[in-house]
Amino acid sequence: MPWTPKTTRPILTSRIPTPPYGDWSKRHIVSYDEYTKTGVVPGYAALRKALTMTPEEVTEEVKKSQLRGRGGAGFPTGLKWTFLPKPDAATGDGGVRYLAINADESEPGTFKDRLLCDFDPHLVLEGIAICCYACRIQTAYFYIRGEYHHQAKVMENAIKEAYAAGVFGKQGFFNGAATKNPFSNASGGTGWALDCYVHRGAGAYICGEETALLEGLEGKRGWPRNKPPFPAIKGLFGKPTIINNVETLAHLPFIIHEGAGEFMKQGCESSIKGAPPSYGTKLMGMSGHVNKPGVFEFDLGIPLRTFVEQYCGGMRGGKKFKGAIPGGISMGILGPDQYEAELDFDIGRKHNVLGLGTACPTVFDEDTDMVAVARNIARFFKHESCGQCTPCREGSGWLYQLLSRIEEGNGKSKDLDLALEIATSMGTMPGTTICGLADGNNWAIRTIMNKFPDEFQKRVKPTFVPVRLGGLAVGAGV
Amino acid sequence: MAWITKNSAGTQIERRSEPYLTPAMRKDLSERILPRYAVKQACVLPCLHTIQHEYGWVPAQAMEEIAEFLGLKPSEIIDTASFYEEYWLKPKGEHLIQVCRSIACEFCGQKDITEACKRKLGIDVGETTDDGKFTLIELECLGSCGSAPAALVDETLHENLTAAKIEAIIDQTAKSGAHGHGHGSHNGSHGH
Repeated sequence: MPWTPKTTRPILTSRIPTPPYGDWSKRHIVSYDEYTKTGVVPGYAALRKALTMTPEEVTEEVKKSQLRGRGGAGFPTGLKWTFLPKPDAATGDGGVRYLAINADESEPGTFKDRLLCDFDPHLVLEGIAICCYACRIQTAYFYIRGEYHHQAKVMENAIKEAYAAGVFGKQGFFNGAATKNPFSNASGGTGWALDCYVHRGAGAYICGEETALLEGLEGKRGWPRNKPPFPAIKGLFGKPTIINNVETLAHLPFIIHEGAGEFMKQGCESSIKGAPPSYGTKLMGMSGHVNKPGVFEFDLGIPLRTFVEQYCGGMRGGKKFKGAIPGGISMGILGPDQYEAELDFDIGRKHNVLGLGTACPTVFDEDTDMVAVARNIARFFKHESCGQCTPCREGSGWLYQLLSRIEEGNGKSKDLDLALEIATSMGTMPGTTICGLADGNNWAIRTIMNKFPDEFQKRVKPTFVPVRLGGLAVGAGV
Repeated sequence: MAWITKNSAGTQIERRSEPYLTPAMRKDLSERILPRYAVKQACVLPCLHTIQHEYGWVPAQAMEEIAEFLGLKPSEIIDTASFYEEYWLKPKGEHLIQVCRSIACEFCGQKDITEACKRKLGIDVGETTDDGKFTLIELECLGSCGSAPAALVDETLHENLTAAKIEAIIDQTAKSGAHGHGHGSHNGSHGH
């Protein structure tokens, strides 16, 4: 049955021309003025609406929409917000708390948040303002990876424009528009007082892990923290902190302006009984062996085959599909028989991968050497392991060595067992690693080895075990 | 009796009389960056970025100056600086060519790009040319998977590369004369 999109208009990309709605060549940086006049929701209209609601009503609307975080884990955003300590009932004062925006998009295959920072920075800033209003936050840090030089500048400029327009700063929002402002009776009653700053990272994948990101913000090594305490209780500078992904925040203006009901008309229900649904659209970045790669916006639930063949011009050179990583290399791999996999939050349970991740598939054609893919991934994790936990630090190095050896043709068949044993034991035992990096490494290598066993078998020599036969040592292939 | 065979505890730091963290930088950092954070240590990354951008690397003396500026210990600065890849604790060439080697790039032709750079510059990955103009490295994902292969030359991203394209970019960069890292007077091939 052919897949039909539910969305008839772009939502996140309403100002960023994207096929099938628009033409890539017309993309440009949307200024504050253009932002307020264009788009599926006129710019900052949603923030104006939010300010007529109480923070609790805004949170409730986001909870109702069942928006799930777009950074990879798919955690319900509204629920995350409610983990913050309750503000003082009489004054509404929540004390000092922070928002950290995760724009440390560093996982190979993932390049979707970059699109928003590149072209429509104010959509993100409006989302930040709405989140800060709902969570009574007065300071937001936009943690962007160091390699995004251009994007950091675009965001800096947009923040300057937003300060001038009163979205940020202490001079009052839109020249003191009437609001149910939680800040008017909090922290000395200065009125709307939200600050937003860009904080540049410096080349460390691990800083995309939320507590490592906080360490980076505090000027320390990006070492993930032990949890609990969770950041919502004790985060940045020891204060309650919310960490949200760029794309998650960019969904907020539509949800608040059009209502949770409109948002839930996009995306799909879960086909697994009792599992949470995958509502809304998603930015999906296609890369690898397809004719027209790039970032698109689709309803969650689009089958991979439809995405490749209908929107990305099919496989490059008319080659056959061999496999795909659903959304960042830590998610594992979809095999040749999983081309029909639907890109929604159920994918992990249905297709033996870790999860949807960032929904940015990297597609491989029939000529791809899967041993090389595994080696590339192992090298990445070896390089990016922060070194705190032994299973991850040592395991990732061993895996890379073993897979390199197999790729070069010097592997023995026992190396396969050893590699699989290491991969399977990394991060699976609860409490042996602080963060999920080892688990991502484990899933990636394990699924590649399990879904393409022949390719690995072909590359190794049999292991010779000396067997004693009447006093003579004879090699026997195993 | 035991005697000291390693001087690790007494490592010499090369010094110059002129500070790396200039008064102008101190002024900009204290006015624009320091007030953003609840604690001074949070300014370590911005301070290191300033030095890295200006000089193309982070000398030990600069780390001492940052420590003094933020009221921290020098060990706390080197602890952070040594963790992040973007900071160079040793001098590098005037221009830095960083070729992405992650999944999408490697399987869409990254090896040709690296080979073209090696041929053109006559150096291996991780090396600097004799004239101190170029340093070539490979790094992990640049977030440009849809337009692979990609490379970051100084602070500019180049996408959909071919061997011919990266060679032309190297020519252009060599001709431009400007230092890749801001406008510092430091020549990375020999320290001060």
